Amino acid sequence: MIREGFRDALLLLWHLDTPVIDAAVRSLWVSLLAVAAASLTGILIGMLLGRKDFPGQQVLIVLFRAGMSVPTVLIGLLCFGVLSRRGMLAELELLYTTWAIVIGEFFLALPIIATLTHGAIARLDYRVSETARTLGAGSVQRAVTYLRESRLAILLAILTAFSRCFTELGIAMMVGGNIPGRTQTLTTATAQETSRGEFARGMAMSLILLLIAMAVTVAISFLNRGREESAS
Amino acid sequence: MTNQQSPATKSTSTAQNILIRVEALTVQKANQVICQMPEMSVTQGERVGITGSNGSGKTTLLRVLAGLEQNFAGLCDVPTARIERVFVHQTPFLFNGTVLDNVEFGLKARSIAKSERRERAMSWLKRLGLTDLAHRAARSLSGGEGRRTALARACVLHPELLLLDEPLADLDPNGIDCVLQSLSHLPNSTILISSPKPLPAELVNRTIEL
Repeated sequence: MIREGFRDALLLLWHLDTPVIDAAVRSLWVSLLAVAAASLTGILIGMLLGRKDFPGQQVLIVLFRAGMSVPTVLIGLLCFGVLSRRGMLAELELLYTTWAIVIGEFFLALPIIATLTHGAIARLDYRVSETARTLGAGSVQRAVTYLRESRLAILLAILTAFSRCFTELGIAMMVGGNIPGRTQTLTTATAQETSRGEFARGMAMSLILLLIAMAVTVAISFLNRGREESAS
Repeated sequence: MTNQQSPATKSTSTAQNILIRVEALTVQKANQVICQMPEMSVTQGERVGITGSNGSGKTTLLRVLAGLEQNFAGLCDVPTARIERVFVHQTPFLFNGTVLDNVEFGLKARSIAKSERRERAMSWLKRLGLTDLAHRAARSLSGGEGRRTALARACVLHPELLLLDEPLADLDPNGIDCVLQSLSHLPNSTILISSPKPLPAELVNRTIEL
């Protein structure tokens, strides 16, 4: 069954099967958008946590760390609660739209990016800050310097978050509703196609997921090597 | 325990042409005194060597004067704007980017136009014998080249107060000559240089032993 399914899946990919490509494109843009928004916010939060001292800082650090391991189903459930008819943001009518998935994945990616950025910034050599300061850099130039000095680690954080968002199922299922042609992503479509007996199509979708996950893993490995080399 | 620094005594110091005034300075870390300076004054334009054995507190003294070390007791009056005090670490940190990017860093902070930035940076790279390395990745330099890059990065700013922590370590005679000649291009800067060994007479006017 697996061998036949694999062969048929390759055929579907070769013929650019519409449901497969549709779900793949949607998964890609939803994850990219969520990670882009989470990067803007998370990098800023990570920088603040790594460079500024303020009351409640340690609590925030712990909360963001804990946020990295929150199950996607729980994030989906909370988003559902907020976006559903009786929720705080019901008026926006975002439930069962791709925007709801973007919001959910934003909260999945945010703690990953904020925590890993914080770690990278906090681990920077003390001379980075002192050298920038003594050469007269203002707060903006110093912030840019910190980002440049930890750019590989931050890129790694973004890739890790993307990988998590792209392969998640819980949020897309809970707030996206798995509506074919509208909110279906690769993971939810894979689950649905398999339960309907369309094993080959499910496998084709899984192959795309696998391919992207592997590409991200390879990129992360390269970045890690670059980091080790620049540290030595 | 008192900890006083600059603005309050600014007028007194400038009137006497004294740039640095230190009295009963003590720095403690983990209940241990790591630097003590009973009295020291440096006038504008002076070149002063700070010598002493390892652990005598030379680096700490320079860090206090640079404003990088805030926890001290005693008086440390340096009525120079923070941006005019440049400190070069014993093992300088070079930012990601080229040698030229590094030398232009402080000029960028002072919002100097790109063309002027480039011209000034290149002239200092030439003085320090680094012209050929201008577009090399700063992280790929040898220890001596990195030290000279850090020196160019500081000198290009023509700071009022230049604090150099063991700038001659790791330098070959050629490198030392470069440093001597380069510092002669900063006639208006007050320069303090730390070293575990006696410094060449042509580099400093006087030496303070720690």
